[in-house]
Amino acid sequence: MRTGLVELPLDIAAMLAAVADPACGAQAIFVGTVRDRNDPDGGREVVAIDYSAYESMAEEVLERIATDLEAAAPGLRVALLHRLGKLAVGEASIAIVAASPRRDAALAAVREALERVKSEAPIWKREIYADGGTAWREVAPLVEPPAPGVD
Amino acid sequence: MQVRLLAFASAAQALGAAACDWQLAEASSVRDLRQQLAVDFPALAPLLPRLAIAVNGVVARPDVPVREGAEIALLPPVSGG
Repeated sequence: MRTGLVELPLDIAAMLAAVADPACGAQAIFVGTVRDRNDPDGGREVVAIDYSAYESMAEEVLERIATDLEAAAPGLRVALLHRLGKLAVGEASIAIVAASPRRDAALAAVREALERVKSEAPIWKREIYADGGTAWREVAPLVEPPAPGVD
Repeated sequence: MQVRLLAFASAAQALGAAACDWQLAEASSVRDLRQQLAVDFPALAPLLPRLAIAVNGVVARPDVPVREGAEIALLPPVSGG
């Protein structure tokens, strides 16, 4: 699978294989993992995050992001998976793999895909704390994808 | 007319359900729908200013019309990644 939501651990090797292309000399990978505090400068101790989504819409948004990026950069291939369910500290929640003939496009695509997921994909985390409490994290107002052709 | 209401994250918590059927006046827009949500589900009222609303899987502006059988999703600010 090239883009989508998954219940099982993310398989980075399979994602690399999904975008493999003899014309590509660069593969960039971003992996986001569950951190042990909800704020790196302090905050509460987190033991797990439960991810949920408006699945049908989120799947379309992830595919749209990959397709938009590929359309904007010749030869670029993008794989983008987000995990759902309860993940322990250290487990990967998102993985983005971009393959491109050259490195600049691959690195830029990974960054842009991540930023777009964070504002366009209807996915939510509920943090589960060491003290037994839980809280929804609601960070970024959901925005529409940019219109085609607008950069 | 009847629509399907889906709620996520804190909106589901406030609604007390992830989904329900909901009766809405004919020829309602998304703007009308927001006002009716506050009337029919007072627990959602404090959240409404923060909620995006999607109609059939697409984020909808206030003047978008809502049709019979539409899937209406209440979407709090997101936190994927």
